[in-house]
Formats: sequence, structure tokens, C-alpha cells
Amino acid sequence: MMIESNGQKVLKVLLYVFLILMAAIMLLPFLWMLSASLKEDRDVFTFPIQWIPAEPRWQNYSDIWTRIPLLTYILNTVKLTIIVTLLQLFTSSFAAYAFSKLRFKGKNALFLGYIATIAVPWQAYMVPQFMMLRGMGLNNTHLAIIILQAFSAFGVFMMKQFYEGVPTELCEAARIDGMTEYGIYAKIMLPLAKPALSTLTIFTFVNTWNDFLGPYIYLTRDNLKTIQLGLRSFIGQYSSEYGLIMAGSVVTMIPVLAVFLSLQKYFVEGVASSGLKG
Amino acid sequence: MGFTANGLPIDTSIKIEKSKAAKKAELNRNVVAYSFIAPNFIGFAVFTLVPIVFAFALAFMNWNGNTEMTWAGLDNFKYIFTNEMFLASLKNTFVYTIGTVPLTLIVSLFLAIVLNQKIRGRNFFRTVSFFPYVGSLVAVTAVWNMLFNPSMGPVNEILIRLGVDDPPRWIADNDWAMFTIILFSVWKYMGYYMVIYLAGLQGINSELYEAASIDGVNTWQKFWYVTLPQLRNTTFFILIMLTIQCFKVYDIVYMLAGAGSGALSQSTTVLVYEIYNSAFRYWRLGVASAEALVLFAIVLVVTIIQFRLDKE
Amino acid sequence: MKKALAVFLIALAAVTSVFANGGSESTSGDGTTTLTWAVWDYATTPYYDALINAYEAANPDVNIEVIDLGSADYQTALQIQLSGGGSDFDVVAVKDIPGYNNLVKAGLLQDLTPLAERDGVDTAAYGGIVEQVSVDGKFYELPFRSDFWVIFYNKDLFDAAGVPYPDNDMTFEEYDQIARAVTSGSGASKVYGAHYHTWRSAIQLFGILDGQHQITDGGDYSYLKPYYEMALAQQADGIVQDYATLKTSNIHYTGVFYNQSVAMMNMGSWFIASLIAANQSGQSDAQNWGIVKYPHAEGVEPGTTLGTITALAIPTGTDQTEAAWDFVKFVCGTEGAEALAATGNFPAVTNDEINNIIASMDGFPQDEQSKEALNVAQLYLEMPLHDKSAEIEVVLNEFHDQIMTGNMSVDDGLAEMGRRVDQVLAN
Repeated sequence: MMIESNGQKVLKVLLYVFLILMAAIMLLPFLWMLSASLKEDRDVFTFPIQWIPAEPRWQNYSDIWTRIPLLTYILNTVKLTIIVTLLQLFTSSFAAYAFSKLRFKGKNALFLGYIATIAVPWQAYMVPQFMMLRGMGLNNTHLAIIILQAFSAFGVFMMKQFYEGVPTELCEAARIDGMTEYGIYAKIMLPLAKPALSTLTIFTFVNTWNDFLGPYIYLTRDNLKTIQLGLRSFIGQYSSEYGLIMAGSVVTMIPVLAVFLSLQKYFVEGVASSGLKG
Repeated sequence: MGFTANGLPIDTSIKIEKSKAAKKAELNRNVVAYSFIAPNFIGFAVFTLVPIVFAFALAFMNWNGNTEMTWAGLDNFKYIFTNEMFLASLKNTFVYTIGTVPLTLIVSLFLAIVLNQKIRGRNFFRTVSFFPYVGSLVAVTAVWNMLFNPSMGPVNEILIRLGVDDPPRWIADNDWAMFTIILFSVWKYMGYYMVIYLAGLQGINSELYEAASIDGVNTWQKFWYVTLPQLRNTTFFILIMLTIQCFKVYDIVYMLAGAGSGALSQSTTVLVYEIYNSAFRYWRLGVASAEALVLFAIVLVVTIIQFRLDKE
Repeated sequence: MKKALAVFLIALAAVTSVFANGGSESTSGDGTTTLTWAVWDYATTPYYDALINAYEAANPDVNIEVIDLGSADYQTALQIQLSGGGSDFDVVAVKDIPGYNNLVKAGLLQDLTPLAERDGVDTAAYGGIVEQVSVDGKFYELPFRSDFWVIFYNKDLFDAAGVPYPDNDMTFEEYDQIARAVTSGSGASKVYGAHYHTWRSAIQLFGILDGQHQITDGGDYSYLKPYYEMALAQQADGIVQDYATLKTSNIHYTGVFYNQSVAMMNMGSWFIASLIAANQSGQSDAQNWGIVKYPHAEGVEPGTTLGTITALAIPTGTDQTEAAWDFVKFVCGTEGAEALAATGNFPAVTNDEINNIIASMDGFPQDEQSKEALNVAQLYLEMPLHDKSAEIEVVLNEFHDQIMTGNMSVDDGLAEMGRRVDQVLAN
């Protein structure tokens, strides 16, 4: 154990001051959401900001369940999010292995093509894509959303970059031991990639959970809609019910934070390095 | 029949056999590699690549989404490159990207390193910095706009108290609007990229630090000679993704600067806003595709440059 | 490899079979017809159900199924759904003129002219609106709702300030003077004399009420200058809330009126139904209110105002044109008008009887002036039909914003606006 010098102590105090300040800035929108979720619509945007509502309106939290079929929307969103996340994790981590540890024809061109397509904004090909999927009978199905979200180039790219950090000698050694590439992927790469897989899980989960445009285009039937569509329906042509929107946002943020917190344990130093020692 | 360097005849039969084996091995290797890629690639190719290719072809057509397409040649490109708003959006998008990328990169790396230390309340701080990313965009932009409200916001109140007589009018001022948007982006996305950096930090072999400690290097040197080089793959990934994301910026600009009138001005318009307008307000899908193709070409060039620099 | 692929394919097949259940249902076998109607804000708009109930009561063999596409991007969502002619909508509500123009240009709406002629639909009942939405003498939508702008005012605030109420014959100078007179207080108790919502219509379109100009004409927009100058002066003097503040803080016009922080507000007649409902639910404190006709320029008849229509159309993709047309005729005709008026909304077919239904609603102000204010002399659409409506509107919005935030002077802003609209027209 090292003895902390005075300089280090000062540094530590400064660090905490910085962190607390930062946390305050980051928490502001959430606190505002909380406060707005307990207000009447007309009081949400009044100045100066009233952080603690004079008469908290808890009713907003019960109204969101009756004004829209929120439970149905949540179940739909949960279903979509879980399926998309699993598919994304599997296909991305699988494909990334080839891009990072195998030599094959057309690798670089294929990879660059993959990434470059991320640059094409969805707005540009939304109409042809919609017509195509509708032609396949996928309009107003959850499958349409799954298909759109599950095969992203983003996940492949991210997993590849993390695999690159794993020494190639590990794979070579396993190959000499007679392990197949699939075995190396499953038994060596995946366990080492837990931090990256956690990251991808979080991102895919958040993206699918918060996705608005995809469901907006493909899911027009009430029994298929997702949370974000439900929340958006509180913004009307002539009036917007911000109290309800914020109450809904607070409720639907909870699962996202739960996922984030539960995957925290994989962001602890030494997980990967311990695997590399052998 | 051939001869080796020392004049001996080569046993061609063996060579052919060998190359056959090599070819087979190579084929096998390719098949294995493709099998890894297939699940993702097939889905991606059918449902994303095909419509994208179709959209690119549209850049040379006139189409409104329903009636028959007509050949436009380069007309759509001629049109967009004489369109003031499109040119302004090109410029603004570049400014936004150049301002946002380095700032976000530095801030998120700094956050990740700080929050990778063994400090009290680490999980809390990590979670909190992810908040702006997961919070609803409506709430997040509303808070931001209220804080930076030109006449009544707390930020300007503080500035006035600090003796700034004429504080900026932020998003409502053409000269400050883009800067305000950049600040907002850094704030919103630094938690996101911090998470990626955190994952990257877990991959660094702790023995490297131990070795460095034995050599008696200081914290700064550790960062410079161990952490940074070890994070190269992560940084490269973030750099590319961040650049692409910046070039595609749309909803935050629209929510911040387009509030009220629903229209972005020449000083805040961005590429994807123009693409959105062409496609879904004017239903000139050919023009929208041409604009997207320009965006694609720019990002492709930038990405290739980044790849080249990474290889060096 | 085979194993992994097999697992993946099985998983995909399973997923497909579980979720491929949406599909589109068409007419059922028991003789009833199902019409699918695309609308927005279904849950918060009481008249959809009123109209459907009235129609289904008269036509027991028809079912109306509603699809809500949301309000914010309704026209975009609608046109995407209709693109390629393969939608399952039989009737669609059309929200605005630029959106209507896009749909017509893309050939996605059926020409209603021959059907209307065949069935003797009297287009004169719509007060000239049908002519305003006709393209080459053909119309592709029939309006069922028509709103017009009036001045809402808060009687309690006028009484407190000791200022007489505005009346139905008010010039812009008088309007400005009244707004200034009724302004009072500061801080949280500040009462603003007037209020302009951030829409361009709220200020810009004062300029077209003399009937001399079309907003889509481009060129010289200097005729808008007096109105922008009036609004900017009011803003500088604290008579109205600052545009930049409204813009950046999402302040909604309903909230400021409900909170009694504005004495007068120019707004569309759709606000009448919302205000009555908010007063009854206790959401609004502005219990004592009235309406008067829009202010007018010298020499222009009082009751000249701006209008916005909501219409129905039949997409080309439907195979139930006749059934859909029957529904459209009903909703846009007098029967639909009565059902609509009973909910406090203004049908496109107007007459004294309809106005009486609205004026006798519980919660509508009892004074004669407010009732008289419902009589419209001349209606100009907020956005006239033009081949380039959508492009022009974007430019008009942009420079409204630039002028009102003070980024451009009135002269520069209007000059730029003219130049840019001309560019749109030239392309």
C-alpha cells in the first residue's frame, strides 16, 4: 500500500469535486423529467424552472396506463428489444471474428463496404425499403423491425475492434491444438469479449428500446405499437401533454438503467487480462 | 517443364499436387470465413444493401414514390450543387463534425479513465454520465434549451452576474447556434463513447502497468506509453463512428434549432435535414438520393483516409 | 459450421412464424364492409368517434376501422404508406395543403369531381374552398372541417386593467393600442396584452388579409413589413412574449392562455373546443373569455380572416371506392357537419344553424359579440394550393424565424424571403 502524499490528496479532492459537478450536469435532465412528470401540462415549461412542483400530480403516473395501452406497448417493446439484442449479439460477434482473425478473399473491400453503408442516412432509402418489406408482407409485423435492427454493421465493426486487441497467438495456439475456428470463437474469443459484448448489449438495447422512426413507419396497428409511439401520441396537433410524456419517459427509462447497471460488473479491470496470462 | 535455380528439373507433379492442396485449404478457409459472416451479411445485404443500391440508382432519376420514374441523368446533382441551402448544409455539417469529433473523443476518454479508477461511487458516476444518452430527446433538449434560454435561462443569468453585459443568445443567434449544438452533442454523447472506452480499457493487460511501475514511470507517462497505444483499436472505432454520426446529425439539430418554426435556417441546416426535406416534404426522391450519395461519398473518403492513417 | 447455421435458420424460422401475424384484413365474408380510415390524434379528438358513430348508425353494414398515424409527421407517414399504390387505407384524412399537393402530384388520390357530379354534391356549400383545392378544375379532397382565426380574449384581465373589451370591428392600429393598454405587471404576475404563437401564420399572414397578395407569389414581400414591425415593437416593449424565448422553451399557446398570462391571443377556431374542455376540467383558469373577429386593415371588411381546412380523400390504391365515397359524402355533408358541430368543431359546410349549435354549447361565451364573431366574411387559406407549396412554406417559415429572432432586419429578411421563393419558383 502506498502512502498518499499531500499532492495526491489534493488531486483526489479535486477529482471528486469534478465528478460531483459533472454528475449534477448529467442528472439535470433526469431531475427535470422527474419534476415535469409531476406537473400539469401548462406548468411544465414555466420560468423560472420550478424544480419541486407545488402540488405534485401523481395522477400522471396512473393516467399513462389508462390513456394509452401502455402495458401492451411495453410488452411489444420488450419482445422486440430482446429478440433484436440477441440476434445482434450473435450475428455481430460471429461475423466480427472472421473480419478480425481470419484471412479470406475480399475481406478489406467487404469490411469497408459494411462501414460505408452506415454513412447512408436512413431517410434516403426508407421508401424503397418500405416498399420492399411491404411487398414481402412484412408491413405491420414485428418481424419488420427485427429485420431492420438486428443486422447492423455497427455491431460487427465494434466487435472486430475489440477482437483485434486479443493476441493472435492465442488463436494460433488453439489451432495447433486442433480446435476449429468455431471452437476458438466460442471458447476463447467470446469469454474474452465480455466487456465488448456488454457494450453492444447496452447500445442495441437502448437503440431498439428508444427507436421511434422504424416502428412509426412499420407499425400502425395499435396492438403492435411500441412505447415510443405511445409517448409520441401525447404530442397532439393542438396540445401536448408533457406531464404524461415525462411520466412515461421516467417509467420506460427504468429498464434501460437496470440493464446498464446489471452489466456494470463486466467493466471491471482485469477480466480480460486474467484470461491472457496462460 | 521448368528448372530450379541450380538447374535441376522440378518435379511438376508434386507442385501441382501441392498447389491443389493449397487451393483446397484456401477455399476451405474462405468458406469457413464466409460462414462466420453469412448470418449478419445476408440479413444486412437483403434488407439494407439492396434498398441502398436502389436508392443510389434513384439519384439519376426523377421519382415521387408512385408514378413512373423518369431518367434525370445528372440533373439532380446539378440542382443540388446550385441549391444554396444544400451548400449551406454541407458547410454546416463540416463545421459541426470538426467541432464535435475531437471534443467528444477527448472528453469521453478522460471520463472513462477517471471512472476506471477505484473510486467511491464509481457505478453511480458511470450510470449518471450515461443519462443524457438514454433520456428522452424531448426532455433532454427541453432542459438544454431552458438552461440556455437567451432571456431567462440560468446560464445567462450567471454570465450577467459574472459581469458579461451582453451574453450570447445561443441557439437563437445565427452566430452562436452551431456552437450551442456542438456543446449539446458533446454533453449528450460523451457518456455513450465513455462506455466504449471503458470496455476498451478492460482489454489492457494489467501486467503492462505493473511493468511500467517497476520502471518507475509516472502517471502521465503510463497514460501516454501504455494506455493510449493499447486503446488504439478502440479510438479508431470511436473516431470512425463518431465522424459518421456527426455527418448524419439531424434530430438534435432539428429539436434544438428548429423548435418553433420547424424550419432550419442557412446557419443551422445540416445535410440530413435537406435530405429529409427533399424526400418527405417535397417528395423528390431522386434529389434526396443525390444528396445522400454526396454524403456517402464524403464519408467514404474520410473513412478511407482514417483507415490509411490507422495502418501507418 | 453447419450446426451454427442450422441453429440460426431454425431460430429465424421460429421468429418468423411467431411474428408474421400482422397482415392486413379486408372485407369479411358476412356481408359487412370494413373501411380503413387514416387519421391523426384519434384518442384526443372527440369528433372522429362522433362521425363514425353517426355513419355506422345510418349504415349498419359498414365498419369503420381507424388507423392513427400520429400528428407531427402525419403527411409523411401517410404518403409513405400510400407509396407504390399498395396501402390498405380506403379513406384518408388530409391534414394540410402542401401534403395534399404532394399526394395529388404523386397520383395517390382519386379525382372526386366525377363522383360529386354524378351524385349532385353541391360544392357551393363549402364557400369556395373546393375551388381553392382544385387542380385544373378537378378536386381530389373534400373538406369536412374548416377553421378560421379569431381573437380570443380574457374578460377578467380586461376588467382588472379597466380596458373595454375588443370588438368585432377592430383595425390593426386599434388592436395594437388595446394590446398595449391591457398589458400590466411584471415577473410572475405579468400580463401580456397579446400573444403570437411561433407559427408564421400568427404574424406573417396579417399581410394577406387585404386580398391584394398571394403568399406564394414570391418577389416583393414588403407588404408584410408593417405587421412584422408591429409585432417586433410589441415584443421590444414587452407587450408580447419574446419569440426566441417561446421558441426555445416550447411554451405552448394553450398554457399561457389557461394560466391567464395573456389578455388577447390570435388563434384558430379549433381552440374553442379545447378551451371549453379545459375550463370544464379545471385545467384552465381562464373561465371568463370571449372571441371577436380578426383585426383588419383599413377598408377591409371585418370578418376577413385566415382559414385552415381538414379534408377527406380516397387513395387510388383502394378497391372499395364506392363505399369510401359514400363515407366521404356523409362526413363532409350536412349530417357529418351536425355531428362535428355538436363536438364544438367547425364543419366545412357552414350555415347559421351550424353556428348556432356551436354558440349554444355549454361553456361558449354568452355575449352577442362572441356569437357574431363566428360569421366569416372572407376566408384565405393559410397556405394556398400551389405546385410548390411545400418548398415555399419551408422558406416562409425560415425567414419568419430569422426576422422574429432578430437575426435579420425586417427589410433584409423579407428581401431574402422574396429572393429564395423566386428561386423555388424558377426550379
